[in-house]
Amino acid sequence: MTETAFSPGEEDDLLAGEYVSGLLALQDRVAVETRARNDQVFAARITDWENRLSDLNDDYAPVSAPNLMPLIEARLFPTAPRRSLLGNLWGWGVAASAAVAVVAYLALTPAAPSFTATLANDTGTLRYEAVITQDRLTITRVLGAAADAAHSHELWIIAGDNPPVSLGVIPGDAETISLPGVTEGAILAITVEQPGGSPTGQPTTAPVAVGKLIAA
Amino acid sequence: MDDPIADLLLLTAAQDRAAFKKLYTESASKLMGVLLRILGNRAEAEDALQEVFTRVWLKAGRYDATKGRGMTWMIALTRNLAIDRLRQRSDHVSDDDAMAAAADPTPRAETRMIASGEARRINDCFATLEPDRANALRGAYLTGLSYNDLADRHGVPLNTMRTWLRRSLLKLKECMAS
Repeated sequence: MTETAFSPGEEDDLLAGEYVSGLLALQDRVAVETRARNDQVFAARITDWENRLSDLNDDYAPVSAPNLMPLIEARLFPTAPRRSLLGNLWGWGVAASAAVAVVAYLALTPAAPSFTATLANDTGTLRYEAVITQDRLTITRVLGAAADAAHSHELWIIAGDNPPVSLGVIPGDAETISLPGVTEGAILAITVEQPGGSPTGQPTTAPVAVGKLIAA
Repeated sequence: MDDPIADLLLLTAAQDRAAFKKLYTESASKLMGVLLRILGNRAEAEDALQEVFTRVWLKAGRYDATKGRGMTWMIALTRNLAIDRLRQRSDHVSDDDAMAAAADPTPRAETRMIASGEARRINDCFATLEPDRANALRGAYLTGLSYNDLADRHGVPLNTMRTWLRRSLLKLKECMAS
């Protein structure tokens, strides 16, 4: 059976229909989701299919769910007061030459047990959670918006009095980074940079979220 | 149109935590039904439900009540999360789980009796498709079966299944629009 040729608009519409129907493989789903974030016409096609097929949702029988709200709230709204790290921290950036020393220091530190950090701003509108297990750092945005399309959120680590070292940009809601070793008390910070990250290798703006690594 | 879930989503977008709690009370069992049907595993469904509501809190501002009903938006978010999880583990899913998740894609009796004209129309439109293709499409939507899964199940090449279902989608769209 050969397939009729479709116009680009029809192809887009079919792709949106395939996505909403749940037919696509993971890599195709990710491609569709990425495109929908930047292409409003395409996103509207997806919404149309969601509405078109929504009556199939009647077929999902309700199943009683336990009250998970306390767990969800604990994730979203931790109650412990957070000391402001913004400002008093931001005297960095002078001794850029020491960056190399920090990298060497990180590389030589033995694999740490486990650390966590909560990176937040003062107004409670943006929060990232970082977890370090052995040599992997996973950071997830749990509250607030990603950088807009014209910027990137870039992650930095600051050990002691050394200048910040970039750990790279965080492209989506979460990122896992290989990290050779860290010590308790190091600071993680997020700055808003141009897409792809700071061109200078140092932060170009004040951080929008800051947190200290503590042993888990 | 009266849409209490949409109202709660709009309040949630404005950081109203009481509305967010009420939204959970009003929608958790339906969303649990979605997660359980796709993931086929209670513990994973409960874990996913927490993530669903975390995302709802973070993304409620993107809900646009002029573009669809609140519950449709919530279920779309839930299905997307569940299908992504299903695909991520599809390499090591047991056949039993896959069979359970795929069980009975035909409409449930209650659904067939729903008086809503909308639901009747989608069922009427599905009835215009060839039965095995209609079942394949329902299986994909309700349980997250992929083109690959469906091609295996129906014993046809992947491209054949793809051609069948793309045509079925077009037919469905035309029928729903008429």
